[in-house]
Amino acid sequence: MSVPARRITLDEWDQRYAELLAAGLTEPWYGGPLRRHVEAGDRRLQKLHLDNSAAALRLWNFLLTEEQRLRQAREQGWRILGTLKDLGTIPVMAYALERVVAFYPDGAWWLPCMMENQTGLLELADQEGVDESFCPVRAMLGAFVCQTHFPIPDLLTCSVGATCDDVSAIAQRLVRLGHPMLWWEIPHRRHPEAGEEAIRLPGGFRAPACQVAFVRGELERIRTALEEWAGQRLSDDRLRAGIRRANQVRAQLRELRRLGYTADPCPLPALEMLVAEMLALHFCSDQAEARGVLEELLVEVRRRVAAGQGVLPAQSVRVYWVNPVADLRVMNLLEEVGGRVCGSEYLFCHALDPIPEDAAPLEALARCALADPLVGSPADRAARICREAHESAAQAVVVSRIPGASHCGLEGLVIADAVRTRLDLPVVEIEVPPITDALEPSLRTRLEALVETAGGGPGVG
Amino acid sequence: MNTVAYCNPFVPVEWLGAHGFQPRWLRLPRRGLAGSLAGPPSAEEPTVGGYRHVEGRRGVCPLAAASVAAISSASVDSAVVLTTCCDQMRYAASLLEQRPRVPLFTLNVPSTWQTPAARGLYLAELQRLSRFLVSLGGRPPADDELASVIGRFERARAALLAARSGLSARDFAAGLLAVRENADCALPRQSEPDAGLPLALVGGPVPESDDALFDWIQHAGGRIVLDATEWGERTLPQGVDVSRTQREPLAALADAYFAIPDVFRRPNTALYEYLGRELAARKVHGLVVRRFLWCDLWHAEVAELKAWSPVPVLDLDAADSEASSAGRTRGRIEAFLEMLR
Repeated sequence: MSVPARRITLDEWDQRYAELLAAGLTEPWYGGPLRRHVEAGDRRLQKLHLDNSAAALRLWNFLLTEEQRLRQAREQGWRILGTLKDLGTIPVMAYALERVVAFYPDGAWWLPCMMENQTGLLELADQEGVDESFCPVRAMLGAFVCQTHFPIPDLLTCSVGATCDDVSAIAQRLVRLGHPMLWWEIPHRRHPEAGEEAIRLPGGFRAPACQVAFVRGELERIRTALEEWAGQRLSDDRLRAGIRRANQVRAQLRELRRLGYTADPCPLPALEMLVAEMLALHFCSDQAEARGVLEELLVEVRRRVAAGQGVLPAQSVRVYWVNPVADLRVMNLLEEVGGRVCGSEYLFCHALDPIPEDAAPLEALARCALADPLVGSPADRAARICREAHESAAQAVVVSRIPGASHCGLEGLVIADAVRTRLDLPVVEIEVPPITDALEPSLRTRLEALVETAGGGPGVG
Repeated sequence: MNTVAYCNPFVPVEWLGAHGFQPRWLRLPRRGLAGSLAGPPSAEEPTVGGYRHVEGRRGVCPLAAASVAAISSASVDSAVVLTTCCDQMRYAASLLEQRPRVPLFTLNVPSTWQTPAARGLYLAELQRLSRFLVSLGGRPPADDELASVIGRFERARAALLAARSGLSARDFAAGLLAVRENADCALPRQSEPDAGLPLALVGGPVPESDDALFDWIQHAGGRIVLDATEWGERTLPQGVDVSRTQREPLAALADAYFAIPDVFRRPNTALYEYLGRELAARKVHGLVVRRFLWCDLWHAEVAELKAWSPVPVLDLDAADSEASSAGRTRGRIEAFLEMLR
């Protein structure tokens, strides 16, 4: 018998897991009850409401076993590449190689949340002089110091130039801790001058052809370095195959977003949507398995849409969400006050856009890298947000600030101004630290007010 | 003469001047810097380009906010040139572009420097700046004109550096700003050089509005013998190759500016090479790091400097909303110098 779609607590998941097993659930090697992750330290799970499907179970288990996967890769003699900052470009190149796994050490920024500050990573960063005036990505510095969370990569790459100063500054510190870094330049994406040759980038931004050529040159430099490091040729053919595989993941995610953000009632909670979207970045260290995880989610979402099932009441207020949250709990909070996410720009929309397959591989990847919303003007980013918010019939926009992040000081002004001016929608800016428990009443009030304003009445809980 | 305002040392003053503009170093409002030398914003101050005031906004570097305020207020400048050297100023430029009061140019300065491509990108940006200046009525300089302008500024900088030992730190800082505007500026009058323990000042910019910092250090018994802040002598171009300026002046100029050692370069080894060389040469006894709140680049470097420095290091952060920070800063300087004695 089909169980209605809903969001459940971890305690409820214990029972649900037993039911699934009794019904014949088969899981991959990393499967098991979610409870075990709490026992291993991921305490935040106890405060979250999670989707009750087997597909969501697999998603969470996939996410929360990444460190094990990386350690297995090392034990099996695979090379490990740490790719800092670019969010979706260098991993496509790395996964085109054999016996290489790539991941974002920056992803450690969620460890203080998931482990409810029991990691000591922020304290270690403090001791290194990188305090709370930095973005929570400073947890990465702590992780490199204690070396107990992920295996230390054999090589690190980091994009710098038009990137946030937090990561750039912390990456520089990593070098002095003895971790070799391959720096590459991503220039500030500017508007083409009148008469200047321009290239349309994935996602719709435009860039001067000379900037694309420059980035292509930088990626050539990375290719040469990766070939030398991995002892393999990274030919165009290999890259094309890698791009095709990455595009399969991106296509799955576009379809998931289309269904998950447009169907009413909402078929998949915002939290699971966020986690799923993150798989685009480095495939959670296993590209083939990431496709399997997404396929199962898609099957579940399609089933729910066909059955008219949702995890939230129909007609929940449609909210477009800007920036990822340092505390995942906040995605639950929006839904608790009567909202639902109908679109998102979590800083890596360029990792969701299809990589052109009709261009030379590094040309295509250069275009994708330049399409990063953070390398251009926040006005460009705001334009894309407005377009997507309009297309998804958003009734309100939340700009979620990342505390201390160098881009968050001013970008919210530009984005909020554009949304109000062009769409005449209510906008709220909130700041989300890694643990929001103490702030929850005020965050709840702000989100409630937004939902009530946008929905024309008190929110539905 | 039409002026072009700028406030970053990676913008070659010669290039602005050779296009027929008067370079103007952006003067920043007094309020908000140096640990609150003055009071809070007044109610009648204009909003910034139609946006709410950005000063005091959480997460915004006070210098970036002050720059936005200065550029947004009534300006006599024909244009403003900002750079991408730090993320906050890059965003400030983007904010200003939304509702510009004057034409604004954002110079893309690469963080990497090891490759010919990075250097080529910087040169291409200077050429793009030239097209921008020409569009505002400037004239592209002939090579010999540019070489002549470079020579004049080189001589002005050399004269100032030669006079350094006879100037107070405050007067020297004023002279450094002057040679970023005018090759014919008068040298500051020889003043009573500061006495006391030789110190180096390192870090982000020290705007004119913050020059009391120099006095505080002097009164506490210190003497700044190396101003290695962002607007100090560290970021003067590293000796333009004069003979080369006759053949290829723009390339020579670009190379000299591209070699400026700074904290945002990746890797930033040249900064440490410069400091190592100059600290030894000037027999520095202590290092004062001055940085703005929310400046990640300098903030992250403080611990590194402390580990690396052969002399004690004092970390001074400057906020824009901390009423007591002026007193706190003075107290920290006094304690540091007491410790050094």
